[in-house]
Amino acid sequence: MMTHDEPGPARAARRGLALRLLTAASCVLVTALAACSGGGGSSGGSPAAGASGSGAHPARGGVYRTAVSSFGLTNNMDPVGETQIGFAFSVYDAMLRELVNFRHVNGAAGTEIVPDLATSVPAPTDNGLTYTFHLKPDIKFAPPVNRAITSKDILYAFQRINDAKLVAQYGYYYYGVIQGMTGKATSPDNAISGIQTPNPTTIVFHLTKPTGDFLQRVASPAAAPVPAEVAKCFNTPGSYGRDLVASGPYMFQGSAQADISSCTALKPISGFDPTSHITLVRNPAYVQSTDNTRANYLNGVQITVDPNVADIFARVQKGQLDGSMTDPPPATVTRTYLTDPSLAADFHSDLINQVESVTMNLAVAPFTDVHVRKAVAWVLDKSAMLRALGGASHYSIATHIIPPTLPGGLAVSYDPYKTPGASGSLAKAQAEMKLSAFDPRRDGKCDVAACKKLVFIDISQFSGVDTVVQNDLAKIGITIVPRDLSVTTAFTALFTIKELEPMSALGGGYADYTGTFSFAQPNFGSAALSAPVSCCNYSLVGLTQAQAASYKVPYPKTGIPSVDSIINQCEVLSDGPQRSACWSGLDKTMMTKVMAWVPYVWGRNIVVTAPDVTRYVMDVATSSISLTQLAVSNHVSIPS
Amino acid sequence: MLTYLGRRLFWLVVTLLVITAITFVIYFVLPPVSPAVLFAGKEATPAVIATVQAELGLNHPVWVQYLLFLKHLVLGDQFGWPGLGFSFVNHSPVRTLIAGRIVVTASLAIGAAIIWLALGVTIGVISAVRQRSIWDRLSLGFAIFFVSAPVFWLGLVLLYVFWFKLGIAAGTGNFPPGQYGFWTWLNHMILPWLTLALLYAGWYARMTRGAVLDTLTQDYVRTARAKGLRESRILLRHVLRACITPILTMFGLDLAALVSGTVIVEVVFNLNGLGQWVVQSVESDDIPSVLAVTVLAALAVMVANLIVDILYAYVDPRIRYD
Repeated sequence: MMTHDEPGPARAARRGLALRLLTAASCVLVTALAACSGGGGSSGGSPAAGASGSGAHPARGGVYRTAVSSFGLTNNMDPVGETQIGFAFSVYDAMLRELVNFRHVNGAAGTEIVPDLATSVPAPTDNGLTYTFHLKPDIKFAPPVNRAITSKDILYAFQRINDAKLVAQYGYYYYGVIQGMTGKATSPDNAISGIQTPNPTTIVFHLTKPTGDFLQRVASPAAAPVPAEVAKCFNTPGSYGRDLVASGPYMFQGSAQADISSCTALKPISGFDPTSHITLVRNPAYVQSTDNTRANYLNGVQITVDPNVADIFARVQKGQLDGSMTDPPPATVTRTYLTDPSLAADFHSDLINQVESVTMNLAVAPFTDVHVRKAVAWVLDKSAMLRALGGASHYSIATHIIPPTLPGGLAVSYDPYKTPGASGSLAKAQAEMKLSAFDPRRDGKCDVAACKKLVFIDISQFSGVDTVVQNDLAKIGITIVPRDLSVTTAFTALFTIKELEPMSALGGGYADYTGTFSFAQPNFGSAALSAPVSCCNYSLVGLTQAQAASYKVPYPKTGIPSVDSIINQCEVLSDGPQRSACWSGLDKTMMTKVMAWVPYVWGRNIVVTAPDVTRYVMDVATSSISLTQLAVSNHVSIPS
Repeated sequence: MLTYLGRRLFWLVVTLLVITAITFVIYFVLPPVSPAVLFAGKEATPAVIATVQAELGLNHPVWVQYLLFLKHLVLGDQFGWPGLGFSFVNHSPVRTLIAGRIVVTASLAIGAAIIWLALGVTIGVISAVRQRSIWDRLSLGFAIFFVSAPVFWLGLVLLYVFWFKLGIAAGTGNFPPGQYGFWTWLNHMILPWLTLALLYAGWYARMTRGAVLDTLTQDYVRTARAKGLRESRILLRHVLRACITPILTMFGLDLAALVSGTVIVEVVFNLNGLGQWVVQSVESDDIPSVLAVTVLAALAVMVANLIVDILYAYVDPRIRYD
């Protein structure tokens, strides 16, 4: 819930009430005239002094007050099913600790794995098949549980992931990787043969195959310890989220008052309502000296839902909020901050693990032909697409698929389809098209019926590129029919293999975790096509003939390229330069040989802060603001 | 009267059944995307979809699901009474999700209603009594302006001027009186009330003016004047009493429609009410939530109609029910 920073709010409110009533009633006509006479927006005039920055040792205290248009949660904050990278994972960093974790800062340092609950980051033994973790002493769950975290609590988290009923969204990163984990367990109490807890401070994982980024998977919020005495009360997906027990520096407000004496006594914690607010307060059981990564300057965090995005930024400018969080600012607000030097320090735009691409379905003509796909890559005017999406403050032009923020991400300068000003090249596109079987007249245009009226799936967030794509593709004889759909309808259509959607503007999105396998496998692996409805290989890269037959979709005579061998090769390599080079090789293969996607932008996280934010840090692992590194200088407290 | 009430309650139930059935078909039968597939998420294998269908009760035939829905509505479900189901999107009982929102929408609607009634009727009466005077002209201008002004524009303008620029009004957000105090809550409700009320006040002003003008020409009013009664007494005891029937009719319907009709004001002022909730639910395909709000809205309109009809009998002695 919101707080104010005015003293004696009740008294001030009463004094002003009569004045406001009179003023409002009598000034209605003046209001209309004032509004009609124009007047642009005002920034609110934040002074340069005290502007946000990376202060070396900012003061502890204060509350970060922010708002989002929607939490967008996928599982009500139950980590088993939560895929909302950005918002949810940023909150998890403040609430949960895992065996190992990321540093939750920006840049390359933010992708480094460090110990969190574990005493050290273990090296795998047994030819990469065994990981042994030892827990630090004196680390407790937050109230109402308030007891030491043991290895069995971490095991229970994995058992929940393994429970079919709880519908774990990232389960496939563990099923078939950890011995005994199949995702088919009937209860969270079912043991997993590949995880052993010989004593309360030791946990051992036995894998079925070497998995180079296993530590990144263990850093997932779903792997954070879960107290069985609370979670056992919740057997439906997402229901545990409202009583999520913290293990990190912050907890839901109201956690201390939760009654866990029985399942019937347990009620949703007041500090979290999935439709309106999340309020975090310090976890009294947390010991700072056990944590080398989180600074925890804030006394609390208040996040409210405000569907009026313009209002969020108006409240930041008025000082009622300390910053935005996940919503990009409207164009007028962006312009205000970028053109006023006194506000520049309050506008933060950072590259994140996100790419958006035009996808082409390799099983649908004319995209069965690599020359057609390359022609599309040459002709698209990426600079126009960037402008349509808000410009360089909101996105960056993507020159290749894997974002540079991910391990193995190539340099921005690598662009096999480089054109002056990134505006595309019709000549090169036509030259490529002439090599295609779909250009029998050899005029540089796709001449056949298969190139006409191709459905192009999009959502409102990216629909600005539709006209650019439509105009550019028309130059090489491909006509598209843009379909701007709701998020759920669009992605369900793309997930459903049988639909054979020819094109979309939605290739990519976020990596599931800060590990390139989580980007490569779901987007380009044939394993991602194992179910008739599955995310996110929209181009059907690696689709086998057997899969095509089982889904009753046509398999092109020219075949469909696969990069499974590269993905499998990279997956087993340990984290380090060799693995990174392997992923770079995958990107080059996708860009030069497969060309199923034309990446057009990399994402940027944009946050506007108020001057009382004294330290701002972007977390590359969550692609969002780092709540555990943030500092503010307000003297706000959270109402009880 | 009792017979009339019984008849009305019977048709209320029948109408509710028809509305819920139609809504059920629209949201459970027609959508292109199965809720189970949406819920299953990123790897919707047939096994996962089947598990989810069983969890959400979607593995029964549609007609069985509908009957279960009715049963839970009347008798309650595992989450309490009334049984409004489980939100597919928020993974919480719909009942707990909308409980607080009903209070917010009700406070917004009732507060605005008091203002628009007081403002609209007052302006309408003055305008009628001072026909063709400057007050009448101003009243006409007032009505035309606020009936024409889009609600979202009005709300944003009021916010911009009184909160953002002048700083004399509280900003947006919902501040329950139990947690933040009565005055803080009141402070934050003034602009939303005004935004909603001014639109309706315009209508009511014109409607009241017309009804009063018509009544002023009646014989019994002339008789009352001839008998020497004070003008104010004539206006309040005789004229307004006769005019109240159409106002009451409109008021009942307008208030009931606000159950889900306050969405624009709720979004502009960030009030977390039912209107905003139902729009979010539609956008996110949260079928149980949409169904619940539809039932509530329909019930509110029908109950409001019934109450208005009953009040007629007390307001207008000429009306009797068998």
